[in-house]
Amino acid sequence: MRRRRRMLEELDADIREHIERETQDNVERGMTPEEARYAAMRKFGNVTLVKEDVREVWSSVWLGQLLQDVRYALRMLRKSPGFSAVAVLTLALGIGANTAIFSLVNGMLLRKPPVRDPNRLMVVSSKWAGNGGEWDRLPVSAPNFLDWRAQATAFNGMVAANFDDYTISGGTMPERVSGGRVSCDFFHTLGVAATLGRTILPGEDQPGHDHVVVLSDGLWKEKFGGDPGILGRVIRVNGNSHTIVGVMPRSFRLWDFDARMWVPLAFSPEELAPAARNTRFLRVFARLKAGITAKQAVAEMDTIAQRIAEAHPDTNKGWATAVKSLQEYSIEDGNVSTALLFLTVAVSFVLLIACANMANLLLARSLARQHEFAIRAALGAGRARLARQLLSECLILSLGGAGPGLLLAYWGMRALRAQMNWNEGAVSLAKTIQLDVRVLVFALVISAASAFVFGLLPALQVSRTDLKEGLRSSTGGRERHRLQRLLVIGQIALSLILLTSASLFIEGFLEEVRASAGFNIHNVLTASVSLRGLEYYGAPHREAAFFENALRNLGNLPETESAAVTSDLPFSFPNEKDFEVEGQPVPKPDEQPRCGYFIVSADYFATLQIPLLQGRGFNSSDNSNSSSTIIVDRAFARRYFANGNPIGRHLKVIEGSGARDKWMEIVGVVGDVNEFLGQRDSRPHFFEPFQAYPSGSMNFVVRTRSDAAGFSDGLRRAIWAVDGNQAVARVRTMEGVIADAGQGDDLMAEMMAAFAGIALALASIGIYGVISYIAGQRMHEMGIRMTLGARPNQVMRSVIRSGMSVAGIGVALGLMTSLALPRLIAASFNGFHASAVSALVAAPVVVAIAAFLACYVPARRAMRVEPMVALRHE
Amino acid sequence: MLQGTRDLLILRTLLPGPRYGHAIAKAIEFNSEVVLQVWSTDHFIRRCHRQIKRSWISVKEGTSENNRRSKFYRLTAKGRRPLDLETRKWDKLAGTIARILRPAE
Repeated sequence: MRRRRRMLEELDADIREHIERETQDNVERGMTPEEARYAAMRKFGNVTLVKEDVREVWSSVWLGQLLQDVRYALRMLRKSPGFSAVAVLTLALGIGANTAIFSLVNGMLLRKPPVRDPNRLMVVSSKWAGNGGEWDRLPVSAPNFLDWRAQATAFNGMVAANFDDYTISGGTMPERVSGGRVSCDFFHTLGVAATLGRTILPGEDQPGHDHVVVLSDGLWKEKFGGDPGILGRVIRVNGNSHTIVGVMPRSFRLWDFDARMWVPLAFSPEELAPAARNTRFLRVFARLKAGITAKQAVAEMDTIAQRIAEAHPDTNKGWATAVKSLQEYSIEDGNVSTALLFLTVAVSFVLLIACANMANLLLARSLARQHEFAIRAALGAGRARLARQLLSECLILSLGGAGPGLLLAYWGMRALRAQMNWNEGAVSLAKTIQLDVRVLVFALVISAASAFVFGLLPALQVSRTDLKEGLRSSTGGRERHRLQRLLVIGQIALSLILLTSASLFIEGFLEEVRASAGFNIHNVLTASVSLRGLEYYGAPHREAAFFENALRNLGNLPETESAAVTSDLPFSFPNEKDFEVEGQPVPKPDEQPRCGYFIVSADYFATLQIPLLQGRGFNSSDNSNSSSTIIVDRAFARRYFANGNPIGRHLKVIEGSGARDKWMEIVGVVGDVNEFLGQRDSRPHFFEPFQAYPSGSMNFVVRTRSDAAGFSDGLRRAIWAVDGNQAVARVRTMEGVIADAGQGDDLMAEMMAAFAGIALALASIGIYGVISYIAGQRMHEMGIRMTLGARPNQVMRSVIRSGMSVAGIGVALGLMTSLALPRLIAASFNGFHASAVSALVAAPVVVAIAAFLACYVPARRAMRVEPMVALRHE
Repeated sequence: MLQGTRDLLILRTLLPGPRYGHAIAKAIEFNSEVVLQVWSTDHFIRRCHRQIKRSWISVKEGTSENNRRSKFYRLTAKGRRPLDLETRKWDKLAGTIARILRPAE
């Protein structure tokens, strides 16, 4: 830079020197001084030009011209505020939607778990294939884990964790928190240290030494106010005393395995019994040894699993292992990554449509500016320079759109975060959604890229402009016309595809919601209670008494219409049991009939208003002394008593222990209740009376006389009146239960609908713009026609026809592509049902109506024009 | 004049040693027996600045033969490459043209 200034400063002196020396030479050759100087000047050439050229050599021409372009572009855009506003808004929508979805993808794919060297931390799961499916994310039993750990050589540490809900109490209100029983080297293997105190020490996994607890940062702050002197304090975990020894860092959230407190994992004798090989409840993490690849680890674990299966065929036959990094494990989670893929495609369509709109607007505008460009070209601007100037305008518009786009994206991200709450995985994913540097860079890059996409066509057009043509008043641009039509066709086709898929998702969601739940879901409040504490341990009669007393308290409240408890709520998968049906051949061991069961109190069916189809419900006589009654649902009756009355028939439920295997009499048949949203074929279930099979983990269902949500505190008080040390967790209305069971299906439908709506609006603007433009172009022609006697209606029809013919091609193209959508979506999302017909009919109709309106408005305007005005119009 | 020739001539003139600006122009003019006089001085200055920017030649203040302070241009190591390249290109071209004009008898 300094050199540049010096060279330019000395330029004058240099020039002078050259001329002086030349003059001197000429004098020496015998010229008069005046002649000599004149000749020297003539020989030198153009002094001003050389100065300018040299300045160009030394200045960054590129930067200077860019600044000039930018200044010029800003001036042009200020001169047409309407165009600029539409352009910025269009781009803001496209960029904002893309940025919001990218933040989700960014969070999902690029996040790293908060552990040391995360790529080498593996999740080892049980794998089971059968019944036409393969499940490779299943938990592991304790004996299998111990065998794996003893035999595997590929790992530098293998640890287990049992994630469950725990009730913590001591001082404040009892609370249910997610927690983990973890191996004592769990934190060491993950490579994370406590911020306060320590983690679990070796030896603390021995029974008797395991009364310590490590808190998460969140629990520490919420429950203990972030007290730095917390270490050494004793709290009760499930009724047992545990000493707080450490607090983990805030960043330590293990995604799908997030917990709020950790206690040592000491295996009980029952968990280690030979039969317990079949009780799979542990999550196993292992760190790859240096130099060992994941593939080698998989191979070794396969061998080990095979060996164990051969040694223990009764519990391990058919069971293999799966080794995945934590990242892979989380990404494969259900439908989430497929949903992200669909959303990404959808938003990129939105951006493409926005770009097409921009290109259209610019093409129309470039016609108006043809004169200006021609003048600039005549004054010496090169074609490349003109094209570059147009592209600079595009870039400025695009960056102008990125600002409000980021604002839109920020709102979108906030809304997403608030709605992603249907399970731990979703909540942990929602936490990763943020406006970080990568998201900002992405927004800038896509705005720059779209500037080139939508600026390229008009820029090429401009650079091809014929000078003479441009200076004459132009009528023309047959080619531009064709381009605009093509763009509109593309827009319409894309928005139709988006609208169709959005309708399919909405349809699928509505079908889930509309699908008869099998009971009255309104005014029902639910809550989950798991009894913890020594007084309930091994005392089923105390557990039964607790729930009976709580139900009695509830029943006495004026708000309560009816109350009951159940082992599982509707829209969840209950536990399963084997059984035999009376009078049917005794099945071979691996063909044993098996189905889900619920343990319910007497008023369960009345409370949820599940219809009783045959026989009777449970009553107080179905207590443990006469516990030989059972109720089945309609699907069960249809499956096992296809041609007969099930009432009075008997079932033998196989409890495993053998002690309670006895024949039970079917006393009633009730209506079906679904296990998941949108379930079409109900699966069989049976119901056992709570009094006969008391359990410590039950869900309350309370039908209230008025608003159910407002009864939450009343419900808690009624339960705490029985035992104030028990946590009342997951207090939700039945509508809330159903929303949670939807796993974000509503969110997906909402997002697709929003994108389709934006797409349709943008496409309509596009059609409107082009039709207005065409109508304007044909103004003269209209004037002639009308003077020659054409009726205004005919003129309008002709304008609409020209627009609708374009729209029709777009709709046809979009519809052809959309035909593949129902199958694509159904194949990509598990359990997706939607009747495609309505979507395939409705979406084109909506697009066609939007196109018609977009044509109608300018056509009407064309019709109203006075023939004389139209004739003069140029 | 052929592309790159001006650069070649300036660089070649500087090969024996540094010279001040006007001397380069004079040398080219003299050696070409004034055939290349069509090349006006403004072109020469323009080329010089471009070459300085590309670091083919460097500038230093100095005193010329008649005790005038003047700018001396010197060929840099970086400038030898284009000189080599252009020389070889020219030799080849000249040889080719010579062969065409006077085919071997």
